[in-house]
Amino acid sequence: MKQVPKEYYELLEQIQTVDFALVELTLYLDTHPADYQAIQQFNQLAQRRKHLKKQFESAYGPLQQFGNSYSNYPWNWNDAPWPWQI
Amino acid sequence: MFTTRKQYKPYVSPFDPCPPIRCKTYVTAPNQYVGFQPPNLPQFPLHEAFKKGTLWKIFYDPYYGPYEVKFGDQQ
Repeated sequence: MKQVPKEYYELLEQIQTVDFALVELTLYLDTHPADYQAIQQFNQLAQRRKHLKKQFESAYGPLQQFGNSYSNYPWNWNDAPWPWQI
Repeated sequence: MFTTRKQYKPYVSPFDPCPPIRCKTYVTAPNQYVGFQPPNLPQFPLHEAFKKGTLWKIFYDPYYGPYEVKFGDQQ
């Protein structure tokens, strides 16, 4: 079986890192809806998340399903590695 | 010095078969001492926040057993 390259893990970790900060900020903003600076940080990270997702998916295939990610041809949703194989 | 580790003295039975532990300690979460979170708290850099499990420095709460760190040494 082919191995995933080192960059795969690096990029995935970056996505996880940004995702975690987004979760934290979401919870924070639920109770502090008028914190302008936090909202700015949130939007910046959301943009970075989008960019990272695009970069990851164009190299290693879709992260999400049901129209949230594009597919290559042929259909590559079920390509290994699956999340629990990483 | 303030610490999130608290202590209590449990009851010791005269029939305790083991040598009694007279002072036990437990750890409380730092968010209990903050109340409503003030805005603009200092943050960890993102890659660190991911490893530490919180974005805000004051909420970072690693656990050490009572025998791992000398009592009152935390923070």
